[in-house]
Amino acid sequence: MNLGTRKLLDRAFTALGLGSIAVMAMMLLVVLVPIVSKGFSAIVFKSTVEHRKMVFNEFHRGNRSALEKEIAASDAARRNVYDMLSRFESELMLMNEDKQQEYTEKYDQVKSALRGLLGPLPGDSEPALTRLTYGQNRWEKAEEKLQELLYEKKWDYSNPDVVAKEYFVSRSAGFEGTSLARLFPYVEKNIDRMLLPEWTFYWGFITDSSVDSHIFGGIWPEIQGTLFLAIGAMLFAFPLGVIAAIYFTEYAREGFFNSLLRSANSTLAGVPSIVFGLFGLAFFINTLKVSESKSVLAGSLTLAIMILPTIIRAAEEAILAVPKTYREASLGLGSTKWNTIVTVILPAALPGILTGGVISLGRAAGETAPIIFTAAVSVGSAIGLADVFTSPTPALSWNIYNLASEHEAAAEIRHVQYGMVLSLISIVLLLNLSAVILRARISKKLKG
Amino acid sequence: MSSEDTARQVRSSAFVVSARKRKLQKISKMAGESTLLLIASFVAVVVLFIFFFVARDAVPFFQIRGFSEFFTSTNWYPADDPPGFGSLAIIYGSLMVTVGSALIAIPMGITAAICLSDVLPFSVRQYVKPIIEMLAAIPSVAFGFFALVILAPLLQNFGGPILMWTWWLIVSPFLLLAIIVVSELLTANIASEKKRKILHATSLGVFGLIALALLFFVGRKLQGIEILTGTNALNVSIILSFMALPTIVSVSEDALQAVGRELREGSYALGATRAETIVKTILPAASSGILAAVILGIMRSLGETMVVWMASGNSSHIPDPWFNYLESVRTLTATIAGDMGEADQVTGSARFHVLFAMGLLLLVISFVSNFISERIIVRQRKVLSGQ
Repeated sequence: MNLGTRKLLDRAFTALGLGSIAVMAMMLLVVLVPIVSKGFSAIVFKSTVEHRKMVFNEFHRGNRSALEKEIAASDAARRNVYDMLSRFESELMLMNEDKQQEYTEKYDQVKSALRGLLGPLPGDSEPALTRLTYGQNRWEKAEEKLQELLYEKKWDYSNPDVVAKEYFVSRSAGFEGTSLARLFPYVEKNIDRMLLPEWTFYWGFITDSSVDSHIFGGIWPEIQGTLFLAIGAMLFAFPLGVIAAIYFTEYAREGFFNSLLRSANSTLAGVPSIVFGLFGLAFFINTLKVSESKSVLAGSLTLAIMILPTIIRAAEEAILAVPKTYREASLGLGSTKWNTIVTVILPAALPGILTGGVISLGRAAGETAPIIFTAAVSVGSAIGLADVFTSPTPALSWNIYNLASEHEAAAEIRHVQYGMVLSLISIVLLLNLSAVILRARISKKLKG
Repeated sequence: MSSEDTARQVRSSAFVVSARKRKLQKISKMAGESTLLLIASFVAVVVLFIFFFVARDAVPFFQIRGFSEFFTSTNWYPADDPPGFGSLAIIYGSLMVTVGSALIAIPMGITAAICLSDVLPFSVRQYVKPIIEMLAAIPSVAFGFFALVILAPLLQNFGGPILMWTWWLIVSPFLLLAIIVVSELLTANIASEKKRKILHATSLGVFGLIALALLFFVGRKLQGIEILTGTNALNVSIILSFMALPTIVSVSEDALQAVGRELREGSYALGATRAETIVKTILPAASSGILAAVILGIMRSLGETMVVWMASGNSSHIPDPWFNYLESVRTLTATIAGDMGEADQVTGSARFHVLFAMGLLLLVISFVSNFISERIIVRQRKVLSGQ
């Protein structure tokens, strides 16, 4: 090979490495950007008057007189719609039977689309579910519902070889010649007078509890559950991990037993997270019976076992990083080994140990599989501190799964799911960030 | 009394401790140390307990149903009467997404690790490392959500074009490089300068045309592919490779760093380029460490639950043909997570215990691969330090 080719290959090789790192950075962006941008839309969005009604009725926040004025204004705009409906109903009574049947079906569709948009129509019975007592509370959802009202979605099955294609038919054409035909242009034109959209900063998304399984309201029960589980896990794992690390670094002698313990540690670090869940179920709940069934306590214990190896490793590294001179100075002054550890080595290693602890806290907060069988429930309100021994809790990680793949209206509440993912990622990344800052400060301090 | 005598007296009196006190100190020291040992061995106890309790609930399954059905049949109908517990397709699904993610993550991870340890200057490395740490810190359920809500619809709606563009973007630079190098090699030994130049140009042209044709026709074919469901093995493999990458990168970077300067400098002194130094000298020296990194990364993919549960489609069948990554699969971890809710815990039926059997299988695989990778790392450390 001549020199030119070798140089080319060398450059290509460098480019390959830089390329993979660029792809990794891109991956991070591709994952984070949509989650962050759409996650914020759970908090900052254009809300309709229905949202303000909901906040006032469910959480008792807001200005009553201003709200009443708004409701009066929107009702004035809506009254025309309801009038048109009742006029069409009386028209329907006078038609012959065939026409009546034809129109009734279409008319019911229009009515249910209107209910989705504006909430219950006058004369409807009191709905059982909260989601049916309000209209659309987000403007972009209202626009979607408006399209549903104006156009009917149909599927084209004419060509059996390809997947059926969807197409839209205007509903107003179906009511040509009746009084209802006027309804559609009216609603399209006056939708913002009926719903009064307005940019809102809904901080309650973080602090409110959920209403009607997350159709409205916030995610406080999940955030609280995540914090309980993660902090509970730390309470068990942190002291144990630090003491084990002290033993490994200061007391352990090289030998069979010691290497066995070390292998056990790395084995524990490699166990798949779902197996921790199985173990938690079989041991903490079915054998030890720490609680009747799922509970925060059982979940915390399971998570504690999972993060124990990480804490031990971080603490070990932090203790080993303490300069030897510290130890020698302390021993030289006549203090005992234990005294040296407690008064000299641990304080010096504390920032490093805390860094490991903070990272583990983030890991415990983000993990899902171990809490599925031991602590997590899909719906529930925030639990009190006294209930942690007996009752399960909703948690961010589990509820993201649950809302995204098992909720009956999963596609309707994408904004809540994005908001939850953003909250979880923020908690975890903020913890990691603080660990990075802590580590940077330590290395600065150690350098002097 | 001289000052030296005083000093001696002070020194000796400081160390005069009664025999009883010394004994007490010794006992308390022993007690303290054994308490520490007890707490440290807690980890080993936990590992034993995990094996014992998972196995305890797994054994009844094999007692009721035997071994052969579990490992050889693909009939997974746990709720039917009579039930079927054939998990071959599920084990195969786990294997498939693990291999798929490894195919993406291993080349990328190793090249990125090389770049981090040998190419980038320290000042840049400081900013790249947090990217990798962030990728490692993102919770698995967030990745699963991304796979289900963003990636799956993309694959389903624009599957063909996505495959085509990926093919072009990945393959064309490699083809270009290969063409240049091959033409270079073919014409290197021709003495006459003029003749060499002409031959070089023709070979560039011919290979270039062949490559263009290849790119175009395979691209066309890929574009024509319709992905019926976005929640498939390909989707999961891509996301799992995201998750395995940080492990592979950081552990192999450690292995590469451990090789030391002498080998690098020796190779440079012999006139090798950086690429040659890395490929011929450093990689072989660090190979066992990199192997350990790969094993750890693969284990991360195999043990991952949320991503596969949310985005693999959870259909328990072996794809047709067997390498079809565009079909839905089901994995061991997702089956454990998904079926526990329906399994009857109280009576402890086979349906409940089969999930523990799967857990035991995962546990054994992770234990063995962990053991192997640990041995490899220990051996490499010994070789590199002790020669």
